[in-house]
Amino acid sequence: MLLIHCPYCGETLPEVEFAYAGEAHIARPENPSAVSDEEWAEYLFMRDNVKGVHYERWRHLHGCGRFFNAARNTITDKFLTTYEAGAPRPALDTLTEGGK
Amino acid sequence: MTAHANILTPGTLADTAAARVTVTAAPGRLSLRARGELGAIEGALGLSLPGKIGGRSQDNGIEALCLGPDEWVLLTAPENVASVVAAAAAVYDAHPHSLVDVSARETTVAIDGPRVLDLLCLGMARDPESIAEGEGRRTLFDGQTVLLWRDGATKFRMDVWHSFAPHLLGLLEIGCRELAAETL
Amino acid sequence: MSKYRVSGRGRIDTSRPVSFTFDGKRIKGAKGDTVASALLANGIHLMGRSFKYHRPRGAVAAGSEEPNALIGTRRGPGRFEPNTRATVQEIWEGLETNSQNKFPSLKFDVGAVNDAAYMMFSAGFYYKTFMWPRSFWDKVYEPFIRAAAGLGVSPKEEDPDTYASRNAFCDVLVIGSGPAGLAAARAAAVEGLKVVLVDENAEAGGTLLSEPQAVIDGKPAWDWLSSELAALKAAGVKIMTRTTAIAYYHQNLIGLVEKLSDHLEVLPQDTPRERLWRMRAKQVVLAQGALEKPLVFHGNDRPGVMLAGSAQTYLNRYGVLVGTSPAVVTSHDSAWFSAFDLADAGAKVQAIVDTRSEIRQELLDGAKSRGIRVLAGYTATGTEGRLRVKSVRVNPMQSGKVGAPETISCDALLMSGGWTPSLHLFSHTQGKLAWDDDRTTFLPDYTPEDCVIAGAGRGLWGIAAALADGAEKGQQAVEALGRSAIAAVPAVKNDRTGTGVSHKELPTDLSPGKAKAFVDYQNDVTAKDLRLAVREGMKSIEHVKRYTTNGMATDQGKMSNINGLNIASDALGRKQPQVGLTTFRPPYTPTTFGAFAGYHRGGHFEVTRKTRIDSWAAENGAVFEPVSQWRRAWYFPKAGETMDQAVARECAATRSSVGIFDASTLGKIEVVGPDAVEFMNRMYTNPWTKLGVNRCRYGLLLGDDGFIRDDGVIGRMGQDKFHVTTTTGGAARVLNMMEDYLQTEWPDLNVWLTSTTEQWSTIALNGPNAAKLLAPLVEGVELTEEAFPHMSCVECTVAGMPARLFRVSFTGEIGFEVNVPAPMGRQLWETLWKAGEQYGITAYGTETMHVLRAEKGYIIVGQDTDGTVTPDDAGMAWAIGKAKPDFVGKRGLARPDLTAKGRKQLVGLLTEDGSKLEEGAQIVFDPAQPVPMKMVGHVTSSYDTGTTGRPIALALVEGGHDRMGETVHIPMPDRTIAAKITGTVFYDPENAKLKI
Repeated sequence: MLLIHCPYCGETLPEVEFAYAGEAHIARPENPSAVSDEEWAEYLFMRDNVKGVHYERWRHLHGCGRFFNAARNTITDKFLTTYEAGAPRPALDTLTEGGK
Repeated sequence: MTAHANILTPGTLADTAAARVTVTAAPGRLSLRARGELGAIEGALGLSLPGKIGGRSQDNGIEALCLGPDEWVLLTAPENVASVVAAAAAVYDAHPHSLVDVSARETTVAIDGPRVLDLLCLGMARDPESIAEGEGRRTLFDGQTVLLWRDGATKFRMDVWHSFAPHLLGLLEIGCRELAAETL
Repeated sequence: MSKYRVSGRGRIDTSRPVSFTFDGKRIKGAKGDTVASALLANGIHLMGRSFKYHRPRGAVAAGSEEPNALIGTRRGPGRFEPNTRATVQEIWEGLETNSQNKFPSLKFDVGAVNDAAYMMFSAGFYYKTFMWPRSFWDKVYEPFIRAAAGLGVSPKEEDPDTYASRNAFCDVLVIGSGPAGLAAARAAAVEGLKVVLVDENAEAGGTLLSEPQAVIDGKPAWDWLSSELAALKAAGVKIMTRTTAIAYYHQNLIGLVEKLSDHLEVLPQDTPRERLWRMRAKQVVLAQGALEKPLVFHGNDRPGVMLAGSAQTYLNRYGVLVGTSPAVVTSHDSAWFSAFDLADAGAKVQAIVDTRSEIRQELLDGAKSRGIRVLAGYTATGTEGRLRVKSVRVNPMQSGKVGAPETISCDALLMSGGWTPSLHLFSHTQGKLAWDDDRTTFLPDYTPEDCVIAGAGRGLWGIAAALADGAEKGQQAVEALGRSAIAAVPAVKNDRTGTGVSHKELPTDLSPGKAKAFVDYQNDVTAKDLRLAVREGMKSIEHVKRYTTNGMATDQGKMSNINGLNIASDALGRKQPQVGLTTFRPPYTPTTFGAFAGYHRGGHFEVTRKTRIDSWAAENGAVFEPVSQWRRAWYFPKAGETMDQAVARECAATRSSVGIFDASTLGKIEVVGPDAVEFMNRMYTNPWTKLGVNRCRYGLLLGDDGFIRDDGVIGRMGQDKFHVTTTTGGAARVLNMMEDYLQTEWPDLNVWLTSTTEQWSTIALNGPNAAKLLAPLVEGVELTEEAFPHMSCVECTVAGMPARLFRVSFTGEIGFEVNVPAPMGRQLWETLWKAGEQYGITAYGTETMHVLRAEKGYIIVGQDTDGTVTPDDAGMAWAIGKAKPDFVGKRGLARPDLTAKGRKQLVGLLTEDGSKLEEGAQIVFDPAQPVPMKMVGHVTSSYDTGTTGRPIALALVEGGHDRMGETVHIPMPDRTIAAKITGTVFYDPENAKLKI
């Protein structure tokens, strides 16, 4: 069971308080009706399935209730960072696993 | 193990050398959601709202616990609920917010005793010691969302939606007996 | 006392005799004995039969790694456990044990014919034999496999014991309480740090319990041990014995199983049998030591052949001589010390046979002074003895050749093929291992966790080395926590250090093809099997493992992995690291299901949510059904009524007068804020801007893919306030979805969501007399068509209770839903019940609700839809606010696939023969087509005669909306049913009955 740092609560807490919510930084088109079928399918279905650092969403469901973003290495299962929803994607070279 | 049918009336459910579990009378309970400058709402409530998640404040017959960046639970005497709602409604236009009466939604149990931290550890994955005295949190106990208020070193309150309460109380009751039978 | 019990030896309490039974025979032991030590003390080596060949077997080890001595244990009726390791189970007065895998008796077993036919059962036997012909699978192979599979017999009774679980937190967790673990715990026991020391054994001490000769800090080992344990306790270290670290999960979460009562004669009250600890440690020190390897030679599995270190443990810890005239075969110095200990305790050691020709002088002197014959540079090539070893055949090895055999008589054979570091938990951490050529074993290398490994676990040998390394690693753990520690290293005398060499199977002068040289005892895998697997093309150890089942038994290869690897890599002509090591997975030792289930069994298995009205339903004879986590009243049978009769009565009463229904489980969400209406417009398909206050509307919720996710009636309670209802099962999901859009897509909207599902008790009243019944109780609104038309809602008072009253109908009759603060629910129900008596008010359950709604063609999301159904498919295009620029799902609905022709669409079905269809039954257009037929849809809802006079069904059928009146066919096992496609509304299509 992972420990996850909630950027809103400022606490590192057991995974059971959280719910995974898929890949991060996939914005819903401003005006969906204006996008092509291809663009819409890209938004709706296509995900990266990264081997390595994955930007993903979590929700502190049984805590503060907020959705937030995380960068996690899917090979080691270690979090590199978590950050508030809406914040920009942090650059990879600034991140190390578990702050080490 | 039996399903615990009618154990939700106020009263002591378990009382052992390890811990005591008591269903308390339900207070008035409100869910407050607001963001931005909170002065108007705080003025209406007569209470300064804690800004840090897990923080608590108390004033004007209202006890507040901050649950999220824009979320508080307010406890007050059941007979005060209407006046609190009215006071907040009066500043709604100036500072829109949501104040919903959820007094009927939850059941509260008081948990205290020398082994209360271990009792909580039966069903809680986070370290109860990480909740300071005088704070509170929303967390998970035996798989269900609860609010946990730490009122003292070995004194807690747990709020849970009514329909989940028998399940949780069942575990708390087992735990009180199990811990009392333990030789340390 | 038997000749095998040595007085003055061991840690058992011979002043406290304990007797138990083994296969019905009374066995005497002493307090502190395990089943195995007590049996050995009585001269009993034969403890079981092997899995495949049914060969006689005895204990080969003294600890949890034991592969052979698996027994059934019973504590009176209802308490039976198979496959318990006799080497671990402590005895208590009255314990019943039995051997396994034998028929009719342990000494004479019919299944042993497999042993004679062993050529048949070679590697890959199952794969080769059970392939062909296909028809043999059901009738021949499967029954054979089922009969042969498994070891002990599963208990049939429900487990009467209770199990517990607990989360715990510590700064330093030390796993293993041998010298390395003790030293680590001592070093970590710094003021303010929470240190926990766990050990799977009944008492702490590890190796020290088997090596009383050592002198530590001037004290005999056992005196030092007890003072050290006292010091640890005094320093606040929590010492947990009988506690196995079964698994190492992410971020230093360790699963610990504590056995609390299996060793007790009287079960204490309120004490669970086992407790699963989920221990989150900031730092972990693994000090699990090393496991001894057997030597691989013909007959190395005979009862009486056992690991030398285990024989030493039986002697020093349990006061048992495993034989009075043992012989020793070894490739490691450690077995020499075992031989010396046994000799000093009175055994006549027949010989020490060492595969090495060069032996340390100190050992040779030790043998000489005890009069033990030494055969250096010898191999072992066989054993004799039917149910117990009586001799060993040894041959000299000279310049690579095996010389003439010699037979040495013995009543026990102690073997040692060297030692393997216990790396199971280290491997659970995804730790990397490095091959050490000198020691011919893997050693720990890198782990991503905050974890260090100390002592024999990383190849260090001897008590002094383990103490020094443990102290250093304990200190390291403390320093990693930002604290400092000074670890004193105790001085050790009479330490037993040593080295050895590692072998594949031992050289032999006999035909290797006939040798039964066991590598995996429990799964009966021999060296020959491993070589055969390689010859047949298995190149990776993972394949060899699965083909031969080497290391796949309940001991997870604790003894067999490295021997297996050495043999496989020799057969492949490649170095061991290139062949690889199989992955160790949790749990470390077999673990009960009870430990994993913990408290979650019986009534506490999972949450059962009940409404405030549930108690009334229970008192009034309701039959319940589970709906998500809720239990809901399904129907209310009167005395003698069947379900169909009860439902028919409830339907009729509701249609003709008035029915009352507990709808409290519906999900409810309060949507409040200046942007509430905009939020509703974006979430739901329907338009909300023009919905007036005190009006409600049926809302349809899609996913962005365009498919129906949920539905419910939504009331506008104020300009900025909506009372949203969801399906019972969808409540949490819908709220989560709304929060997702609100927080991450539209954070600018000023609106908030609050779950009020449990704030309200909701009672539905339906039927032509519903308004008449309710009106006298309502204050604040007239229940007339004009003042409170269909699809109205209002805050008012009902029977003196504050209420939110909705005029809605899920039955097609005049309908109301009364919401009152939840605790008032039952009071309101009883008030309505009383007021309804004059109308013959009838309580109905979910089944009647389903029938009545189906007659009106109202869908149930998740039953008539399955996640691929659009509003148009469901015949609900009317619910879409077409003028809205966007809502969740709008763009999705424009996807080409969702507008294509031939989609499955919801229709009604009426069978031609008037029979009831089965829900889920597949539909075809042409029943004469060849099998497999093209399936064009399925029945989603089907009910027996409700109020329409005939069974009705709803179905999803390809292009169904354009096929009105056509006949489709539903093939069933016994016949094919023809049905006509109709509209979905079977009752009152004009909605005339909705009017007051």
